[in-house]
Amino acid sequence: MKFQIPIGPQHPALKEPIGLRVMVEGEIIRDADLRLGYNHRGIEKLAEQKTWIQNIYLTERICGICSHSHTTCYVQGVEKLMELQVPRRGLYIRTLVSELERVHSHLLWLGVAGHEAGFDSFFMYTWRDREIVMDILETITGNRVHYGINTIGGVRRDLDELQVKKILDSLDILRKRSEYYKNLGTTEPSFVARLAGVGYLSKEDAIALCAVGPTLRASGVPRDVRKDDPYAVYDEIPFEVCTADTCDVLGRTVVRIKELFQSYNMIEFMLKNLPEGPIAVRAPRRAKPNEVVSRYEAPRGENIHYIKSNGTDKPERLKVRAPTLGNYAATIKMLKNGFIADVPLIFAAIDPCICCAERAVALVDARTGEEKVVPMLALKQLSQKIYGLNARKREVEWPL
Amino acid sequence: MRIGVFIPELVRHLFKKPATVDYPFIKQELPPGFRGSPYLKPETCIVCRACERDCPAEAIEIISINEAEKRFKMIIHNDRCIHCAQCVDSCPTDAMNMDTKFEISDYDRHNLKMEWEYVRAVIKPKSAEPKS
Repeated sequence: MKFQIPIGPQHPALKEPIGLRVMVEGEIIRDADLRLGYNHRGIEKLAEQKTWIQNIYLTERICGICSHSHTTCYVQGVEKLMELQVPRRGLYIRTLVSELERVHSHLLWLGVAGHEAGFDSFFMYTWRDREIVMDILETITGNRVHYGINTIGGVRRDLDELQVKKILDSLDILRKRSEYYKNLGTTEPSFVARLAGVGYLSKEDAIALCAVGPTLRASGVPRDVRKDDPYAVYDEIPFEVCTADTCDVLGRTVVRIKELFQSYNMIEFMLKNLPEGPIAVRAPRRAKPNEVVSRYEAPRGENIHYIKSNGTDKPERLKVRAPTLGNYAATIKMLKNGFIADVPLIFAAIDPCICCAERAVALVDARTGEEKVVPMLALKQLSQKIYGLNARKREVEWPL
Repeated sequence: MRIGVFIPELVRHLFKKPATVDYPFIKQELPPGFRGSPYLKPETCIVCRACERDCPAEAIEIISINEAEKRFKMIIHNDRCIHCAQCVDSCPTDAMNMDTKFEISDYDRHNLKMEWEYVRAVIKPKSAEPKS
């Protein structure tokens, strides 16, 4: 006897809208199906109507957690289109912010993993320590979430001695706290028992299904854009690609904790070797007709932006491939033959950012399975027809 | 296997100050570069419209009131503003600035509008250098 259980698009276990249909046999998942498109915002189309500079702030708003990843990926591409040579100090500050962002994203993920595993004190501790990074980011960029530090040709704000000292002091606290989280796994058996063996993804499957980021590295594949195709100043900074070979949620946790320490070392290295000089060069308003693919290792995995210019001050096309989209196929594989109680944990383990990955919408008829293209007006009329049949009473008075 | 290893950490936190701040009563100090809302210093604005052109949210509007007197009006729609401070970077004469206010919510979006009426300033813009 098989049942199909719909999880989402609105569900307490999910933080963002995504439709997940799982076919269960008892409480074992036999098949799963993902339905996307509930969070589509038309950002790629909007980008075609905005200038190169305006698009920095638009791409920043693709995602809240990895806002710097999207701008850096976009700005790198545009700099390649405009043939700009970014000053080294600018690149160092840009990389510094991206590593700080990685620290805050991984601490956030650790908290979420703790929460999904039923270990809420861990969630609160990691999120409290994440505030330290958020404060650093606020001091050096002027905002906690949307840093807005990138501009075409460099960065917008410089670092001073006082800020460098403050970051180095905060790093000590973060290192000490992360050391505690690192040892927590060896001392707290219930947390490990909850994570081990959940969401198995073998090395072959991870490669075949094009998994990215910590999900791929937890399956024992040492692939990292920072190492394989170094951008910015990653070829000068010493660091290791962290992997784990347990291929489960525990491995993904281990990879992220290891990456935290790598990021601390990189931040310290960058602050101690910060070159002197200007932080930005002046960018032209137009770019020659050309196309470029920009890659960036976001905290969640490889982020790809494709940009096409046509000689005007606006891009002709901007295509965003967010890391979460690369991990969806692997998630289906991980869910299969798992328990239904593990769905939130497995799903959270890829660190899904739904709004990052929503780049297209397909309208499929639920009965016939037929795909169609519908103009916005027709869609509006359809919704008015459906909800008109089930109208809500307005201005009802409280009967008591 | 040991059970309850997390407990000493929990007990230690019983005697610590809370990590949160009693916000509406105690206000935290903002960092100096905090990006609040943009405002205009009308005496230095040369109406080059760089801010209007670069604003990603199209929140800045400059309208001409009297061509002969060179009177202009700048409206900043703070309900649309995304606080990116690109206008500050684009301004060649430092007429645009950011304040550090963040408690700016209102029940009506039209109350957030800010307006300045001024005569165009005659200042030579600085040479074309990128602003840091």
